[in-house]
Amino acid sequence: MYREQRVWQWSSHIVLFLLSLLCVLPFILLFMASITEENTLILNGYNFIPKELSLEAYRYLWDNSSSIFHAYSVTIIVTVIGTSVGLVITSLLAYAASRNDYPLHKVLGFYIFFTLLFNGGLVPTYLLYTQYIDVKNTLFALIIPYLLMNGFNVMLVRTFYITSVPKPLIEAAHIDGAGEWRTFYSIVLPLSVPILATVGLLQTIMYWNDWFNGMIFITDSKYFSLQNVLNTMMTNIEFLSSSNNSNLSSVMVQVPSTGIRMAIAVIAVIPIFVAYPFFQGYFVKGIALGAVKG
Amino acid sequence: MKRIGKLMFVLLALILVISACGGNSGKNGSNTDSVSSSGNQATGSEVPKNDSKEKITNLNVLIFGDGNTVKDLPIIQDAVNAHIKDLINVKVNMTIISPGDYVQKTNLLLSGNEQVDLMIVSPFFGYYSQVARGQLQPLDELIDQHGPDIKSVLGEDYLNTSRVNGKIYGVVPMKDMASGAGLTMRKDLVDKYGIDVTKIKSLEDMTAVFKVIKENEPGIIPLISGATGASMLYFNKWYDDLGDGLGVLPNFDNGMKVVNLFETTEYAEQLKLMREWYNKGYIGKDAATTKEVHLDVVKAGRAFSYFGPTKVGKVEQESNSTGRPMVGAEYLAPASTTSSVLSFMWAVPLNAKTPEKSMKLLNLMYKDKDLINLLSWGVEGTHYVKISDNVINYPEGITAANNPYAMGTKWQFGNSFSAYTLNGSDPDIFKKLEEFNKSAIKSKALGFSFDNSQVKTEIAAVTNVMNTYKNALEAGLLDPADKLPEYISKLKEAGIDKIIEEKQKQLDEWVKFN
Repeated sequence: MYREQRVWQWSSHIVLFLLSLLCVLPFILLFMASITEENTLILNGYNFIPKELSLEAYRYLWDNSSSIFHAYSVTIIVTVIGTSVGLVITSLLAYAASRNDYPLHKVLGFYIFFTLLFNGGLVPTYLLYTQYIDVKNTLFALIIPYLLMNGFNVMLVRTFYITSVPKPLIEAAHIDGAGEWRTFYSIVLPLSVPILATVGLLQTIMYWNDWFNGMIFITDSKYFSLQNVLNTMMTNIEFLSSSNNSNLSSVMVQVPSTGIRMAIAVIAVIPIFVAYPFFQGYFVKGIALGAVKG
Repeated sequence: MKRIGKLMFVLLALILVISACGGNSGKNGSNTDSVSSSGNQATGSEVPKNDSKEKITNLNVLIFGDGNTVKDLPIIQDAVNAHIKDLINVKVNMTIISPGDYVQKTNLLLSGNEQVDLMIVSPFFGYYSQVARGQLQPLDELIDQHGPDIKSVLGEDYLNTSRVNGKIYGVVPMKDMASGAGLTMRKDLVDKYGIDVTKIKSLEDMTAVFKVIKENEPGIIPLISGATGASMLYFNKWYDDLGDGLGVLPNFDNGMKVVNLFETTEYAEQLKLMREWYNKGYIGKDAATTKEVHLDVVKAGRAFSYFGPTKVGKVEQESNSTGRPMVGAEYLAPASTTSSVLSFMWAVPLNAKTPEKSMKLLNLMYKDKDLINLLSWGVEGTHYVKISDNVINYPEGITAANNPYAMGTKWQFGNSFSAYTLNGSDPDIFKKLEEFNKSAIKSKALGFSFDNSQVKTEIAAVTNVMNTYKNALEAGLLDPADKLPEYISKLKEAGIDKIIEEKQKQLDEWVKFN
């Protein structure tokens, strides 16, 4: 029996180890590519152990740091503001939708659910945000559209409130004289730290990795986020190499080398790498709790 | 737990307050923004033509290029505005859009009501469908009234090329209007083995060259593709591709009879040659699928040569890009076709508020040397210094790499032939380009553009078949003896004959009126 268990444990560990390798190896390869000497990179392709090391790509980034770091700071500002505001809105809305003594909670629930299935499409969305709300070429364009609040996250938090915050607790608070606000921040919020951490992480990642809003709403390079800069580089390269017009070869010269692209990708990943372990404990707990009885 | 909750609340409250402040200031900001912009629009549309001297007109101009390399665009914009105010009483607001997002961004701009007064359009970016959707204004009258310099610089031929259903919708900038085909090789190896590049006059002549390289330089691939994703014979244009290459005009004339390129004996011969090269190892094994940029591969010393379009100054340019001296051999003489002339154009969208002002500004780009240089090189003293009449250099501290106004797409600014040249490059380049344009063969079908709306489904089907076979066949990966007939029959099944028929019909129609 004991032996059997050990075999099972070992084999499952090996499988899991292999699976996790699949996730980790690309990052290692990415990092190695960024410190490989440019010509070696083209000559031998990507290698886990590069033949010739060079920090040229990082030196280039450092020398041209103003634009990269500017984009970096745009990303950070957008992520911090977006995630915090998004969390506040999400948790408040989810709380209202979770309380079944609130007369409109069913309507509200359906309203949130509806946004998961349908949306206005790209052109109407664009028109709304540029003609009526006029966020074009502002930081708001990177924060508000698509990302600020997400129906899925609201559902996740709402389910958590319903299943994991005991109703008698809320009633008890009421009897003790707490108003709605006090009940929310003294009773409900402390109990829902795991789910808030989870949703916070999800939102952080979404903001951090977003380039779509930048592509649509931003034409002023002052507001380019890091992912946007990377994405522009990649789409430019794709375009230039797929269309074979001789006029374009002059643009081609300015495209950064493979090593530099890899280096930008590396520095873009670092903050998420650093932040993830801190969230991880909550993450697992939050998902499990929020998903049950969804 | 409770303490954490309290802390959290304080944090949340703080965030709420901060974001509320941010929200307010932002709102104010955007409010004033929208007020001022709507005010501008009002002045733009309400000014009667007669007393336009009183009020300045705002024009939104979309230019094409890499926004990351022109940090100083606002400075250039101010200088441009100071310069053109007295000339045409216009204030421009320039937006630069990167090639990769050009289609998406301009589509959104044009489908909204946003004011766009002048923009770059291109068949790559759906010029014909923009015309079909009525998003661009016909320019004939505007050019007659406000564009005398456009007419004199371009001449009728190039101006007429952009006609769709008899109307001009785009004005091409003065750039290279033709392209030939050539083989670009590494000069060091050419010299080492005493290869006479002037003797390379056809594809067959290259076999001997590749043989020398293959036998003596084991680590080097003799021939690679000249553009990522393009087939090996992509640049081998001994025909007018009439827009999409489905139904072509061999030798730019052929008595105006459209034929299927893949059924010609010439094509079959070329494929045989490619197969031979492939079997002998002259072409890289991964030529049909590789995603590597050819210049990088040459730079790294892994390849000897590649095909490409030829024009004046191309070899110097590529020597810079590859970091190795290169030498070119042109084996197909340059020719002007509708596609080579129309690569990029200026157009006035329907959203333009004052089309006549747009045209005046465009005309200025064909007339005013200072404006052209401002747009191409930036502000004198800051971005460049003059060393002689037409030659400039970077000022101290600025190099090609850190130039805050590195406009790569200078050719878009009207009469780009009157721009300065950079010290170290050929000072007569523009004269040579002009000669090049003049001496190029003009296709009999120059100016004809194919309206493919009737055969959209067939084109999609045929393109699918081409994606399966073309690259592999032209890289010699497949044996043309049995695969070429298979390819042709698959194309016929997909309806290539219908496309050719339609094209012939439209071409006959076009010939009647020209």
